[in-house]
Amino acid sequence: MQLNSFEFGAVPVRDDLAQVLEKSWTALSTSGAWLDGAQRSAIVDEARNAWECALCQERKEALSPYVIEGSHDDLGKLPASWVDVVHKVVTDSGRITRAWYDSVIGEDLLEDEFIEMLSVSCLVTGIDAFTRGIGIGPATLPPAISGEPARRRPGGARPGPGWASTIAPEDAGPELGNFYDDGPYYIWRALTLVPEEVRRFWELMNVLYLPDPGVEELGNLERGITRGQIEFLAARVSSLLGCYY
Amino acid sequence: MRLSLSGEHTGDDYNLDVVTGADNSGGNIPGGRVLNNFAEAVMARDNQQTEVERNKIIELLGGAAMADASAIIAAFNLVARVADATGLPLEDYKEEASVELRSRLGLNSLVTG
Repeated sequence: MQLNSFEFGAVPVRDDLAQVLEKSWTALSTSGAWLDGAQRSAIVDEARNAWECALCQERKEALSPYVIEGSHDDLGKLPASWVDVVHKVVTDSGRITRAWYDSVIGEDLLEDEFIEMLSVSCLVTGIDAFTRGIGIGPATLPPAISGEPARRRPGGARPGPGWASTIAPEDAGPELGNFYDDGPYYIWRALTLVPEEVRRFWELMNVLYLPDPGVEELGNLERGITRGQIEFLAARVSSLLGCYY
Repeated sequence: MRLSLSGEHTGDDYNLDVVTGADNSGGNIPGGRVLNNFAEAVMARDNQQTEVERNKIIELLGGAAMADASAIIAAFNLVARVADATGLPLEDYKEEASVELRSRLGLNSLVTG
């Protein structure tokens, strides 16, 4: 695999992490299950642009973001309802409510599209946090690759355990393969409505974090910090995002 | 909760108040203070402060630690957003196991829905 999206220089990034970062990054501009490469690329751009949105900044500072009305500063590449989702996920995910979720799902945005959009928004935001952390510039997205999404919901999807529909372990078909072999955690289930995307998401996540968080300490995994330091950072970042899952 | 379990496993007594930022002492976690300040700088998107804190981690824990700390910060930028945007509840067993911890850290009053 050619690794050319990230200029790691002398930063000692693990080989497995460097490889999966490249794979995850380039996949952002290729066709997904519900969104094509151009749409996914536009979501990446909009996710990065969200940090500059005056409305989002005003809402972030408000006691309740839902009383502040206005228009997002957007790049004009996505429908307004999609922009609202991307900006909210990036800038104020900790205060997302059921009412907001129900308000954005509809004719303009299918639940399946929401899940893929959520994944893409999170992936670019997380990868950008990584490059900021290690002190290199943000990666440049390759040109969008054409392709037609299948736009087909797999069998077994039903509402819960959160607001979005998911595929429970007992309902999982061949699309999910052995995805649930390591456990039925809700967080693994969250994106299963779009099996292709959930695999992409966790392929990166497992290398950034740990492939099996149930392991005692680190086992044989190569990491530069201890399990205690890992879990402290995990909890601290979640807290900074207002996430108490 | 995993931090608490990790401490139990290794016999370390971590001060979990560091998780919410109520305590910036490092909580008995080796390098906890610099890791906290690094995470805060990255999350604040403050490149200047991030560079300062990055250099402190490299000096104290090494370059590989800095890279893996960045990876964890990235990872939880992913999962925290997914959990909140899909309204994930805690699994029953986690809710039962974390009653005391959530109460102690004052997390129950912070849930939106």
